[in-house]
Amino acid sequence: MAVAGGVGVITFRQPIRNVLSLVVVMLALSVLFLLLSAQFVFVVQVIVYAGAVMVLFLFVIALLGPARELAAGRLRFQTWLSILFVLALFGLFWAMLQGVTYRQPEQVDLNSFGSVESIAVGLFTTYLYPFELTSIMLLVAAIGAIYLSRRSDEDQ
Amino acid sequence: MSSFDVGGSQLDTSWFLLLAAVLFILGAVGVLVRRNPLVILICIELMLNAANLTLVAFSRQLGNLDGQLFALMSMTVAAAEAVVGLAILVDIFRHRDAEDIDDLSELRG
Repeated sequence: MAVAGGVGVITFRQPIRNVLSLVVVMLALSVLFLLLSAQFVFVVQVIVYAGAVMVLFLFVIALLGPARELAAGRLRFQTWLSILFVLALFGLFWAMLQGVTYRQPEQVDLNSFGSVESIAVGLFTTYLYPFELTSIMLLVAAIGAIYLSRRSDEDQ
Repeated sequence: MSSFDVGGSQLDTSWFLLLAAVLFILGAVGVLVRRNPLVILICIELMLNAANLTLVAFSRQLGNLDGQLFALMSMTVAAAEAVVGLAILVDIFRHRDAEDIDDLSELRG
């Protein structure tokens, strides 16, 4: 299901269909997060990604209007070269996955693993400093987006 | 060997890693092949999601919560990146109609 959505992301011609396929991928991945007992990451994935980011993409598409995509690029061999490159990359991933030997999974208490409480304990004790830096980064991104998308007076 | 109990059935971590690899490859193909800048941003989001899946899968495999915390951090990074990228796109589209990313190559050194 996630792979089908991913294929839809890169094959559809109209951007709105790409975005809707990406929503399918996000929801499938969120179910996988739930399977991996990551409840809080599941909730954040659904709300932030499938909700907020995708709505943002849809707004931008609605703002810009439907864009037609020309099939031929300026570089002639770009498609074939990129397919070759990507096949090599996938071969690399495959080789890495073949060589992996896993440690035996530790017996964790699944009732508390990945719950909001355990996530919060980790986030506010060990990773408090990166957490605060993340908030500053979000503030900078918001200010930058407002500055970029504001209509300057000399444009009028 | 590397499987663990998920909801009563045994699941292998390799499947999650393989799925993440496939999704990352799809995102890379999209970035390289597609020409619409908006679609390229979407494909970058796809690749970030694949990385998140890898983080969470290893977090479950090792019984360590740090992977999930890193996945949360990378989600916020992805959100900020999407916001700034879309703002740049809107600004570019406002000045001229650029439907092909190759049209934006007039910056010469």
